[in-house]
Amino acid sequence: MALLEVEDLHTYFKTRAGEVHAVDGVSFSLERGKTLGIVGESGCGKSVTALSIMGLVPPPGRVVSGRALFEGQDLLQRKSRELEDIRGREIAMIFQDPMTSLNPTLTIGMQITETLRRHLKLTRDEARKRAVELLEEVRIPNAAQRLRDYPHRYSGGMRQRVMIAIALSCNPKLLIADEPTTALDVTVQAGVLALLRELREEHDMAMIMITHDMGVVAETSDEVIVMYAGQVVEQAGTFELFDSPEHPYTEALLAALPQIEGEDVRHSRLASIPGRPPDLISPPPACRFADRCVYASLEDSCTRVLPELRELRPGHFVRTAHPASERAAAPVGS
Amino acid sequence: MSVQRGLGPASVTERRREFEAALGRTAEARSQEAGVALERASLWRDALYRFAANRAALVASLAFLVALGYAYITPWVDSADPYFVDFSEQYRPLSWAHPFGTDQFGRDLFVRNALGARVSIEIGFAATLAIMGVGILYGAISGFLGGWVDNVMMRFLDALYGLPYLPFAILTIVVLGGQATFWTMVVALTVASWFTTARVMRGQMITLKENDYVRAAQALGARWYRIVFWHLLPNTLGLIIVFVFLELPGVILGEAFLSFIGLGINPPKASLGSLAQDGYAAFQTHPYMIAIPSLAIGWLILSAFFIADGLRDALDPRTRG
Repeated sequence: MALLEVEDLHTYFKTRAGEVHAVDGVSFSLERGKTLGIVGESGCGKSVTALSIMGLVPPPGRVVSGRALFEGQDLLQRKSRELEDIRGREIAMIFQDPMTSLNPTLTIGMQITETLRRHLKLTRDEARKRAVELLEEVRIPNAAQRLRDYPHRYSGGMRQRVMIAIALSCNPKLLIADEPTTALDVTVQAGVLALLRELREEHDMAMIMITHDMGVVAETSDEVIVMYAGQVVEQAGTFELFDSPEHPYTEALLAALPQIEGEDVRHSRLASIPGRPPDLISPPPACRFADRCVYASLEDSCTRVLPELRELRPGHFVRTAHPASERAAAPVGS
Repeated sequence: MSVQRGLGPASVTERRREFEAALGRTAEARSQEAGVALERASLWRDALYRFAANRAALVASLAFLVALGYAYITPWVDSADPYFVDFSEQYRPLSWAHPFGTDQFGRDLFVRNALGARVSIEIGFAATLAIMGVGILYGAISGFLGGWVDNVMMRFLDALYGLPYLPFAILTIVVLGGQATFWTMVVALTVASWFTTARVMRGQMITLKENDYVRAAQALGARWYRIVFWHLLPNTLGLIIVFVFLELPGVILGEAFLSFIGLGINPPKASLGSLAQDGYAAFQTHPYMIAIPSLAIGWLILSAFFIADGLRDALDPRTRG
């Protein structure tokens, strides 16, 4: 049995203009000890997917339907009190901006021990000892002393390490990392990613890595989901996805990666995808990428009917009428 | 090569060696410093410096301390009995024996004013703390929970807001039995004036709850009351401190007014308000009897107000006007 199985998740936000279908039928499963990357541009629903699993969708958002089976139990059916016991204990989450994710008025020690005492019912001294160990584990020098410091004395990278330490404090089975490195310097990013990978292995956790950075995915994930406009458009093993992307969106994303080596580095412009994602209030009954897709033309069925997510090769799912391997000719207009 | 004249190859290598040595030194120093805390320059110390730099606030604090000293030390030092009636000493003007004169019963007003100020200050602080407690609790819960709970709680508050302050306080005293004691005064003043604190707290909570650390705490399984009282309230501490001194003058004035109209502390005990009431009966012949307690009320209120102002500037330098 998979650790986490999400089935047909729909999360909508009520607004004055109508219901925004932020997550519209997302399914995936995650095995114990594996890492799943979720990539996509801003607003594609990757964070809302994670928040839905955690039961933390902010109002006016609401999980409309679907299931999220964690060890066979549907998280979406749990009472909020039960979810509070699961959060931090079984499933932990770290957020994008480490500068604001720590409370400025509490010492680092207080914030680490809070979770330990809440879930593991440790005494003050036990929690303190464990907190020192945790800080050492995320390589904060002089851990015992730095426990007494307030967050403003920590750098961004160190704060993210502290967030990781807090998330790992109760040995969760699943860690959801929502853009954990986006707000950090590139050099610090590398360190945090390496640390995350290492700790994931040590603690034998499963991890969901949410990011818009293909490089981060390549470095951390076993499997990747590409999301677009609230839906999964492609799912494959990491190597498979990078070697032979099938969805035109994935191809475009990979093409948009800046190149720093190769023949035509100096001459090529940074690639971008023309157009904008569709309005999610009343999404068209068509492939949501159709408007921006270079392969779709008006006569195609995909401008009228939403393509199913189909298994093109074992373990490689794609939602498009024009997967790369089935394309005979060059794209329209190129 | 000829370009490098004056900096021969030897000197270049030398400089380079020096540079590298310097780098090595700083790297070493840095690794030693890493993790070692710098000298602690805390928010509170900064605030203290800023407060001390504000002359008005400093003078006001001094004035407030003088008032406290007068109220609390005088009864110990002065041998005059505040309750001793001596009709041969009626209406004595200011003198060395009676610095503030005597009243219609020949009681020494210097000691009586001190006791009165003590009562006023104590009721003032007790009521202010009660107002803070009620207002913070109500506002924090309303603001944090939001939604319909917030709506109901705030509409209730609006309804209370519509009631005029003093009649409301008077009504409370009457409901509590009509006998004004220390605690009924505190309750009455609290009931009549906790709304503003609640509103301000609610506003603070609404802003603060959007912070990422609230989301992070939720993601780690913290319950709502934990988030409100452990994560959010400390963030409003500065505001609360300012509010104590902003609320204090109003409460002291309210107490004085209630006492003045006869709903205050029972004689022979006195507060500044009831002393002013005694003086009012004879203000044409013995004006000092009303002037002194009134000035004392003004003294307390003004110094509390300037302290509040200084605290606000000190704790939140951005709002300095």
